[in-house]
Amino acid sequence: MIKNKVINILQNTSEISHYEIGVSVSKDKIVTLTGIVEEWQEVVNIGHLVAKVKGVKNVVNDITSKDVEIKEINNDKEIAETLANGEKEQCDIVIIGAGISGCSIARSLSKYNLNIIVLEKNGDIGEEATKANNGNIHPGFLAKPGTLKAKLNLRGNKLYTELSKDLDFEFKRPGSLVVFHSEKDVKKFKMLKFLKKTGLGYFIKSFRQYMKTPGLKWLSAEEVKQKEPNLRGNPLGGFLMTTMGIVEPFEVCYALAENAIANGATFKLNTKVLDIRKTNDAVHEVITNKSVITCETVINCAGVYADEIAKMVDDKFYTIHPRRGAIAIIDKNRKGFLSTPSGVLGRSDRSHNSKGGGASVTPEGNLLWGPTAVETHDKEDKSVEASDLDYILNLGQGVTDQVKKNEIITFFSGIRAADYKEDFIIEASKKVRGFIHVAGIQSPGLAAAPAVGEMVEKIVLKQNRLITKKDNYISTRKRTPKFRDLSREQQDKLIKENPEYGRIICRCELITEGEIIDAVNAPIPATSIDAVKRRSRAGMGRCQGGFCGPRVLEIIAKELKIPHTEVTLKGGDSYVLHKESRS
Amino acid sequence: MKIINVDVVVIGGGPAGLAAAIEAKKQGTKKVMIIERDTSLGGILQQCIHDGFGLHRFGKQLSGCEYADNYIEELNTYDIEVAYDTIVVEILKDKTVYAMNKKDGIIEIHPKAIILAMGCRERTRSQAFIWGTRPSGVLTAGTVQRYINIEGYLPGTKAVILGSGDIGLIMARRMTLEGIDVLGVYELMDSPGGLSRNIAQCLVDYDINMHLSTTVIKTHGNSKLTGVTVAKVDSNRNVIKGSEKYIECDLLVLAVGLIPENELSNQLELDIDPLTRGPVVDDQFMTSMDGVFAAGNVVTVFDLVDYVSLTGEIAGAGAAKYLKGELNLTEEYLPITSGENVSFVVPQKIRLTNLTEELPLYFRVRKKQEKTEVSVCESDSKIHKKRHRVVLPPEMIVEKIKTNLISENKTPLIVNVKEV
Repeated sequence: MIKNKVINILQNTSEISHYEIGVSVSKDKIVTLTGIVEEWQEVVNIGHLVAKVKGVKNVVNDITSKDVEIKEINNDKEIAETLANGEKEQCDIVIIGAGISGCSIARSLSKYNLNIIVLEKNGDIGEEATKANNGNIHPGFLAKPGTLKAKLNLRGNKLYTELSKDLDFEFKRPGSLVVFHSEKDVKKFKMLKFLKKTGLGYFIKSFRQYMKTPGLKWLSAEEVKQKEPNLRGNPLGGFLMTTMGIVEPFEVCYALAENAIANGATFKLNTKVLDIRKTNDAVHEVITNKSVITCETVINCAGVYADEIAKMVDDKFYTIHPRRGAIAIIDKNRKGFLSTPSGVLGRSDRSHNSKGGGASVTPEGNLLWGPTAVETHDKEDKSVEASDLDYILNLGQGVTDQVKKNEIITFFSGIRAADYKEDFIIEASKKVRGFIHVAGIQSPGLAAAPAVGEMVEKIVLKQNRLITKKDNYISTRKRTPKFRDLSREQQDKLIKENPEYGRIICRCELITEGEIIDAVNAPIPATSIDAVKRRSRAGMGRCQGGFCGPRVLEIIAKELKIPHTEVTLKGGDSYVLHKESRS
Repeated sequence: MKIINVDVVVIGGGPAGLAAAIEAKKQGTKKVMIIERDTSLGGILQQCIHDGFGLHRFGKQLSGCEYADNYIEELNTYDIEVAYDTIVVEILKDKTVYAMNKKDGIIEIHPKAIILAMGCRERTRSQAFIWGTRPSGVLTAGTVQRYINIEGYLPGTKAVILGSGDIGLIMARRMTLEGIDVLGVYELMDSPGGLSRNIAQCLVDYDINMHLSTTVIKTHGNSKLTGVTVAKVDSNRNVIKGSEKYIECDLLVLAVGLIPENELSNQLELDIDPLTRGPVVDDQFMTSMDGVFAAGNVVTVFDLVDYVSLTGEIAGAGAAKYLKGELNLTEEYLPITSGENVSFVVPQKIRLTNLTEELPLYFRVRKKQEKTEVSVCESDSKIHKKRHRVVLPPEMIVEKIKTNLISENKTPLIVNVKEV
């Protein structure tokens, strides 16, 4: 009996045994927890504890804590407004959420004769976890064997090479280096090598993921020194995962979305899902703040809100507990200081349930440190605290002590959409026909994204065998010019063709007016200063938009033909200017 | 690709660049060219509509725009080419300068000498390590000044200012005059960062409070700024627990310091002084690369534009001498170092044979002192001394040294500020 096992573990864990926790188990082995505890962290700890009990499929954690207040969501008023305005639409598939998963799925499904609408509550796509990601395309080595994550990570990583060519986004495989300083670790990695070479590792369950990971290399102390001369200390050796890749995550997201749009998919921004209506246990209508969309399939890629979307169709069998991750970006003066994302083995400051972070590199050459992993009750809590930066600095210090705190040009955070099993949930609903869960997509969600698209594509095809492929499917996408990457001759030619490329707006990153105009007029238009930043890099440099901010604002206003006072920093009500001074 | 040959190219048409170009021309340089990224000359002065400029230089209080106009008018009497709306993208070590604009595309410039006059930039919220969310309504003082004075927009209704440097103080007054409610100026340090006259004219006159040893530690609001948390700090600048206070506001103005703009200096791999964060310069304001000069805030952030112009003139004259072959480029440098209570000295090194009658030294003190003597020493002997009633970190000290007093012993010069 699962219930007894759960009650047992709750009563035998001293820190929480004094709480009264309600436990109920459904026939498909979903445990629902209720009760009140002191601190939010305890809510999370209990959820994790129960999820680990053998046989538990997932955990719906309705425990509350006294230290935080979680607001109940009530969309009734907004639903009434939409129903009153009478706006109606129809399509085959609604995808909720235009993060990396939603965009990848949209692209995969755009091959078929399907009418697809992607709904995004924000003013831009990829604006949640996707944009605040470190851009690592993990080799798949660290994922827990046997999990869906592990499988899709390996597959996704492999797909990136071709995908980057098809969709013309920046992708590099610098590999990922772990170095060690103790003889014990040297031995440990020799053992790993032995297990790999002999194939014996397949007999040990916990080594299976490692056995499946391609491109592993063992480096001597000299080879480490040669590869990364700036690492701290004198590592005794290193372990190189050559398949590790890096991307700008939002660039991948835009590429996927633009290709989906080229193939007929529709993206609706600033569109929030308020409710989903069923008829006869099948998905029927999606009600948004704009319209009522009749459809046959709903794919839930709503990130941190995936559980709340699932609840709308009465199929919430998981709880998303937000986990904040903060990242710091180092000035480009350090370009080339590290060429491989690196970590040091044997540091005990790693946080639980994260791959621990370290020093990475962006495709543009900035060093990137982090991320942290902090449980939070607030799904919108994108703050960075002093403790986050202390952790990040400590991570960076482990890799090199030469890069100083004052070289950080920015730091930010995003929220991971973790469930209590800490695995991806990708499956057709067992209760509601036409509803597909794509939930719990946290790291390595970016690396897995192409494989997530592939998997959902199969689920959709299985549900409807009559779906046919488009004759005129466009499999590739071309990005607009990146002025900074061209030769002087090419730059000169481009300016002669279009003088707008002749004016630099962002001096730190060398971004031209032409590129900003391209961004504002992109298939998914960049309508805020931050959206322009992600598409063009204007404002990503060391002055952080101090110089180009007003100029970008002006271009957005001009291109969109809106007053300056209506331009926002990041959508919503994030206006930059209050009013005209002489109005 | 357009190719241009010039004698001197001046990068930046702000106060330093203007003065440098004019001086280089006056000293007989044939072809002088200014590259200006904006559509008009004057640089940041054009958004400084307040007065207080030019007291040293012109003996009267001018607005920033008027100060710039004086130079622009003078420039127009000379045959100096100005490339507007043009930005330098790269300088190679052989002094080839790549610039670009809409009309000409990429321009390859071959100058015989270069004067770097790119000015400085503002420190950002990340560099001030302000925690919390990243909403709109957090802007640097210079950006706010641009929005209000140039573009004609008000970026908020209730403002908190972090940093009591001059720009912060000026903006406190400016925003008040525009009807923005300025809730206070917060300063991490235990003494103000700006000039005393600005504190009197911009805060005291408008009943705006300055909170010393207090800083903004956190911003609130995911979309638009809803407020900030301020807190007192101890003598080590650590936040004092329990002193946190929430202030509702929709605008946080950051006046947390200026940093010399040195992208191009770094491309050239010039020696950079860690104390000034600008290139090391000699008595001619020539950098570590022969024929490359630097002037104004690129070298160190000055508090008066008058000094910026002066250094522009030195660099302009230096470039002219360099072109005429009048500069000794081989003599060993004599270093000038920061002694007691001195945070940096510019220039950092001199060549005795290149000196003119007077050598101006620009420097700042680390901490406030009263009844002090500023001295320039050579071994044990003082070659220059002057009494100052009070010295403050925000107020740059300029001492003119009689160069005939410097001995031929080649011993380093040390600048000291001591209480007497």
